[in-house]
Amino acid sequence: MSSAVQFYVTILLIYLGVDAIACLALNLQFGVTGLVNFGFILFQAAGAYTAAVLTLGPSSANGGYQQYIGGASLPFPLPLLAAAIVGALLSLLVGLVGLRRLRTDYQAIVLLAVSLIGATIATNQVGLFNGASGLSLVPHPLADVLNLDPISYAWVYVAITMALFLLTWLLVHRITSSPLGRTLRSVRESEAVAASVGKNVIRLKLTAYVLGGAIAAVSGALLVEFITAWSPSSWLPAETFVYFAAVIVGGAGNNLGAIVGAALVPVAFIEASQYIPAFGRPGLIESVQWIVIGLLIAVFLWVRPAGIFPERRRRYAKPHPAGDGAQTPQSEPVLPSG
Amino acid sequence: MSIVLPAIGFGLITASILAIAAVGFTLQFGATNVLNLAYADTMTAAAFIAYMVTHAGLSIWIALIAGTVFGAVASYALNRFVYVPYVRRGTKLFGMVILTIAVSIIVQFGLMAIYGSDFYNLQSSSGSSFKIGPFIFTAIQIAIILIAVVAMLAVHLLLTYTKLGKAMRATANDPDLARDCGINTDRVIDLVWLVSGALCGLAGVVLVMNVTGFDVTTGNGFLIPILAVAILGGIGQARGAMLGALVIGIASEVAGAVISPGYKTVVAFVILVLVLLFRPQGILSEVATQKELAA
Repeated sequence: MSSAVQFYVTILLIYLGVDAIACLALNLQFGVTGLVNFGFILFQAAGAYTAAVLTLGPSSANGGYQQYIGGASLPFPLPLLAAAIVGALLSLLVGLVGLRRLRTDYQAIVLLAVSLIGATIATNQVGLFNGASGLSLVPHPLADVLNLDPISYAWVYVAITMALFLLTWLLVHRITSSPLGRTLRSVRESEAVAASVGKNVIRLKLTAYVLGGAIAAVSGALLVEFITAWSPSSWLPAETFVYFAAVIVGGAGNNLGAIVGAALVPVAFIEASQYIPAFGRPGLIESVQWIVIGLLIAVFLWVRPAGIFPERRRRYAKPHPAGDGAQTPQSEPVLPSG
Repeated sequence: MSIVLPAIGFGLITASILAIAAVGFTLQFGATNVLNLAYADTMTAAAFIAYMVTHAGLSIWIALIAGTVFGAVASYALNRFVYVPYVRRGTKLFGMVILTIAVSIIVQFGLMAIYGSDFYNLQSSSGSSFKIGPFIFTAIQIAIILIAVVAMLAVHLLLTYTKLGKAMRATANDPDLARDCGINTDRVIDLVWLVSGALCGLAGVVLVMNVTGFDVTTGNGFLIPILAVAILGGIGQARGAMLGALVIGIASEVAGAVISPGYKTVVAFVILVLVLLFRPQGILSEVATQKELAA
């Protein structure tokens, strides 16, 4: 492979890993637990920011041209861990407010508002987050230890990303196939039923929310360590819906579906199409991309609401004939078993 | 003090715009139970319709009517041809929320595909200035306040004295009971989409009458304040929304003047969170989940 092709392939693979991790996180929150986390991107951005400032030296270095908090020059895995902790704490904070006994759509409002406000503050508080210009010159992790040429380094980073992705998959799979996962699904299906058998619904939702937030933060951290720059404009609230599209297309509630969705929507569709030649006015391609994202969501909700890989229908005992009287007979999407 | 007083003046104008938008939104959400997050983008679309009308050389008043009619028709069509089929197909509450977001994205970026990310404006001059008490308003701003007052009065009269208004309130309160009382709720809900859509279109045009330049994201920037006002006032409560618009309109302009203009929406959000924390009446899940999606 020529070096240009290699570079392109490594970038796509890294995006694939990052987006797959993010989609696993969103799937845990939205697909499994039913939390409509319209603020998802905020946690990814927060993780990315945390990792960036902890990898960077003190802000007085480089002539102090960018302002930020932190600046610890921590060695490689530590910024990722710190990102996970920040993601979890931020999720806990937001979750304590947003996940109270609110109806799904009110929760969606609060969480959407949170991410809009986060973006506003990040752009306006120059002292804290360096404003709209964001951060740059984040050192590549392990670059000074490995001392490789850019292409080889990119391949090493692909390996790191894939390892973390597999680790996340394993972790999320362990959660969703455990009794905890079963309980989370019961919360999604009916909060009232889960509460009636003594489950603490709010605590369960918070658990899924915090776990998802931590994983999302790691995905952001992983990305920012590779692209070495962070800016509020690359984590706009609307980006959340790319991930929603991915999870819905892949199959909400199914981890494999989330990964396939990540490969199809953010990677194959957004990243890969960045390299098609520009046509029309500037920004036209981007508009068309977003329109297609919207159409993807709408079409999948209509044609295949369960996604490409529908959630496996689990049978624990003789199923009760579901009595959801007020809905039309088609109210439950019929899932193929197995 | 010197920056607070003019900010209150601006707040009155913002409140006027917010009141029109949020009353439409709260009526729509209250009666139909569809959280239509494409509402703000419909406002933007109406603003661009108004722009096309003024661009064709017609007066701003015709543009205002065109935007209002467009809002009504577009909202009605959106419900009839998109939302209702999905509800009939069995899309659940959170599926509908995501669907409205998808529509919102399609509308916003559809407009961007047509109009790009340039700024547009409706009229070149905002008319002469008037000094009323401590406030200085331009002719356009006075017109906006008057439009809002007339629209609010019309909504109030509609809801209080007409059969349709009473049917709307009954449907919002309890669609099943309303149906049992012989109200044709399907027809009432169609009319709700028309009326709320008209307010939405009107709000979109009025919003861009007040600014020097608008683009395809202008309406969307208004979404959080609208949601905050609607929740502060209580979903479905038109008069609550009017009051909420005053509170949030003035509070956000004052905060914008005192802290930084970027924080206008933050104030709306803080109020939203405080309401949800301390006065969530009417939005507790037990009350809310009793209502099914009405189609």
